[in-house]
Amino acid sequence: MYHHTEFDRAFVVDRAQRFRDQVQRRISGALTEDEFRPLRLMNGVYLQLHAYMLRIAIPYGTISPDQMRQLAVIADRWDKGYGHFTTRQNIQFNWPKLVDIPDMLDALAEVGMHAIQTSGNTIRNVTADHFAGAAADEIADPRPYAELIRQWSTDHPEFQFLPRKFKIAVSGSPNDRAVVKSHDIGLRMVEKDGESGFEVSVGGGLGRTPLVGKVINEFVPVADLLPYLEAILSAYNSVGRRDNKYKARLKIAVQELGIDHIRELVDERFAEIRPKFDGTDQTILDQIAARFGQPTLVSGRSTADYDAAREADPIFRSWADTNLHAHKHADYAIVTVSLKKHGATPGDATFDQMRVLADLAERFGQGDLRISHEQNVVLPHIHKADLAALHAALREADLGTANLGLISDIIACPGLDYCALATARSIPIAQQIATRFDELKLEHEIGELKIKISGCINACGHHHVGHIGILGLDRAGVENYQVTLGGDGTETMSVGERAGPGFSKDEIIPAIERLVYGYLDVREDASETFLQAYRRLGPEPFKAALYPEKAAA
Amino acid sequence: MARAFEPVVISANDLFDGRVIYLTGKDEWVPHLRQAELITDEEKAKHRMAHALALSDRAVGVFLAPAKAGPDGPEPGHPREAFRAHGPSNYFHGKQAEEA
Amino acid sequence: MAQVVTIPTRPARIAALNDRYRHHAAIRVLRDALRDPELGRVAMVSSFGADSVALLHMIALVDRDTPVLFVDTQMLFPETLAYQQEVAAKLGLTDVRIIRATPAAIAAADPDGDLNQTNPDACCDLRKTVPLNKALQGFDSWITGRKRFQAASRADIDFFEEDPAGPRIKINPLAHWTAQDVADYIVNNNLPRHPLVSQGYPSIGCAPCTSPVQEGEDPRAGRWRGQQKTECGIHFVNGKLQRIQPAEAEPAEAETAAFEPVDGQPVIVRDSGFAADDFTGEILDLESDTNLDEANVNFREAELIRIAFPSFTDGRGFTIARRLRMAGYKGRLRAHGHVIADQFPMARRSGFDEVEIDADLARRQPWELWKRSSEVAPSYLTRLGRQA
Repeated sequence: MYHHTEFDRAFVVDRAQRFRDQVQRRISGALTEDEFRPLRLMNGVYLQLHAYMLRIAIPYGTISPDQMRQLAVIADRWDKGYGHFTTRQNIQFNWPKLVDIPDMLDALAEVGMHAIQTSGNTIRNVTADHFAGAAADEIADPRPYAELIRQWSTDHPEFQFLPRKFKIAVSGSPNDRAVVKSHDIGLRMVEKDGESGFEVSVGGGLGRTPLVGKVINEFVPVADLLPYLEAILSAYNSVGRRDNKYKARLKIAVQELGIDHIRELVDERFAEIRPKFDGTDQTILDQIAARFGQPTLVSGRSTADYDAAREADPIFRSWADTNLHAHKHADYAIVTVSLKKHGATPGDATFDQMRVLADLAERFGQGDLRISHEQNVVLPHIHKADLAALHAALREADLGTANLGLISDIIACPGLDYCALATARSIPIAQQIATRFDELKLEHEIGELKIKISGCINACGHHHVGHIGILGLDRAGVENYQVTLGGDGTETMSVGERAGPGFSKDEIIPAIERLVYGYLDVREDASETFLQAYRRLGPEPFKAALYPEKAAA
Repeated sequence: MARAFEPVVISANDLFDGRVIYLTGKDEWVPHLRQAELITDEEKAKHRMAHALALSDRAVGVFLAPAKAGPDGPEPGHPREAFRAHGPSNYFHGKQAEEA
Repeated sequence: MAQVVTIPTRPARIAALNDRYRHHAAIRVLRDALRDPELGRVAMVSSFGADSVALLHMIALVDRDTPVLFVDTQMLFPETLAYQQEVAAKLGLTDVRIIRATPAAIAAADPDGDLNQTNPDACCDLRKTVPLNKALQGFDSWITGRKRFQAASRADIDFFEEDPAGPRIKINPLAHWTAQDVADYIVNNNLPRHPLVSQGYPSIGCAPCTSPVQEGEDPRAGRWRGQQKTECGIHFVNGKLQRIQPAEAEPAEAETAAFEPVDGQPVIVRDSGFAADDFTGEILDLESDTNLDEANVNFREAELIRIAFPSFTDGRGFTIARRLRMAGYKGRLRAHGHVIADQFPMARRSGFDEVEIDADLARRQPWELWKRSSEVAPSYLTRLGRQA
């Protein structure tokens, strides 16, 4: 993980102090709400249905045990005992008081954390592959670059009042676990003639207008990364629309002006900007890379205990089958701890659970913790010999759910239970689907199936890229749920297609059940996933399962 | 296309702690919907709204929230207002917990 | 000998038209267009939105019997429908045609009226684009209110252009107008404004897809924001007008303590404090949407360039300043308009020397706040070796 510098700490302490000052001025009346709003948003403070909400950045999903413990302190002391991990590798607290938030920011600053640029029309928290530095398929660890981008974008004077929010993601693997093509800028590490660089795509996004990012440059060398990003942002700040909030994202500019026009503009700006970078950023990049402590991976330690535990304990075996991924070292595994216990709120962790995760990361996992955009926690370096003990400890903390990638591992936005923008609830639908399929004891039989639920068209629950997507709508004051099919958020990205008319909140769970039974009927064998079957057969058999009365007519 | 005016209450969030608040007929901000002033006439709504904005030093995001008359005072007129008035459905937090 | 008749292609005719009308004012374009045989049968298309009344007024002056097509998407604000009637009556327009999608089309594509929530682009097609194209079938040309300043994708529109949707010519009499031109025209001619403009809507479309709100803000707050905004700096307490007390203003330094903002006179904020404007030379003003690559001004020569901030949320001026500095501009650079104290360091770091605000803002955000916000903070960019 990344060890913060004195500079990083000084920066967040300064920002917390400034925010304390801004809150005081708001309360005294020196700032109007109109003027205060963008300032609080720049510090991650929203006003939601019931209360303020504080969104804290977990840059590229990497967090230390000490930081996790500090989140536990915050949840316990200033909130209601839990936190909610989001689809952008952030954590949200749903109940802070405005007058307490400066203290919360001070507490975060103590461990080098902050809420800077987690909202507002600025460059948001940079996201990255949550298996970075551990995955067997990785070309290079993307996190040093993500950290470099974080530093460059933080408090960038030109880009705090952009036309709209701006999201950047970085991936270092051919298997895209960071959904890079659904970001304003997606960076994929590539090599050309032995030199490292990035394939850069722009104009991706979900939301109201789901668009797959387009490649603007096939190869940007590492040394040109920051000036090239600055050129894109400079062009966007000039040509992004400001007359309509819904047309203001970079993706709309790319769509309206064309990728070639944008490329030309970016190239011109790049020529202006490149000479202004004197190369110090590359020295800093080396220092950053050095500050990401490499895990000590030991060879030769026996993994026989692991094999024995698999034989002896079917519960452990089931968990190991779903929640482990291949590590670059054969004796190790990447463990994903599910925050999707059946019937619980997806992505929520109590302060006790946060402490347990911090302790276990230190005891078994070299002090490395990650947050995935699928709202789970990752322990990236666990020796196989330790897996059984780790699993036992996780189970004790109610964190042993064996459902990763299965139907109950649902992404859901906060929805109408909390969010001021939502048109319907998401959380109860996720809870009911998970509970229902747990009762049916079917989910391991069903295999890989990603359900993603958004409570409105803004698509924070990524429903467009769910194998099954559920979009909650407001139909004349009644919650209604529309189903999309065939979405995919990986390197084979596709946007799901609407299946047909929506369902009421009482109809949606039986509808999903029919859909899944329909899939089980048509799949070739247990190895054909829902998405594969959908791609082979097209939507018809799935629609027939969803709408039996139509199929019968 | 002009719709009939549907009854409203004036609501907002408290500047200090973000809690949902409602305006009474006596210009007080209170935490309970049933104590709010139910407004059934559009002209009055506009007038009261302008007044509420002028009083709003502790109220943020003042708006007209759909409501309907009930036996004990105004009741929510939309699901969003029901959640604002009671709290979320996944935890026993918010107003429902304060009232319990 | 047979005579050869060449019929010019539409692009050629459009080029010729643009050439012919190059130096014409909007109203001349309109007057001549209605008579120009090259343009055939002409209709006007109007949304009766925030700015529409200017062009509608001109068409009424030229020929109030011109067909005016108004697309009612059946998702409009009631205020727009009322305003449409009011404007048509006031201007004496005799041929306003209300265009709607057919009930059958709506029943087929949007039976539940929620297409706007699931696929806004398809909703636009269904309720706007398709019915409008159908209604335009009897016409050879149509007049629009499109302006260059509205969006970068419109930055190079001209008076006449080809309609990509059909064999027609689009006439854009206001192509070269700025936002200020529209506002001035409406005021000078005493025209009624769309009622939602005063409630903070910069542009008005269908109700579900029009939002005046800022990022992260609750949309319910939107419709009343304009009213709050007009109250900046004043407060009513128990019905009495009161001026807000500035945040515990500490005793300021001697030089600035003496400075009192005067209504109607600009206040200049520099690192040394508030001051009256000391500059008496010629100022080069740049709007926030200025395209430096096309601006025909020799900014290198200017002694003082002033860049407009129409709203503090419009950050384009920071990039303009930065680009001027990168291009080697060495003169004085001033940010002008709605800039708040917390943006002072951003302005300075983007290349501005100073900020010009009005007396009201200067009173509400006294020098102490600007000073505090500009106190040297750690800067990642400097550390990364990015030069100013």
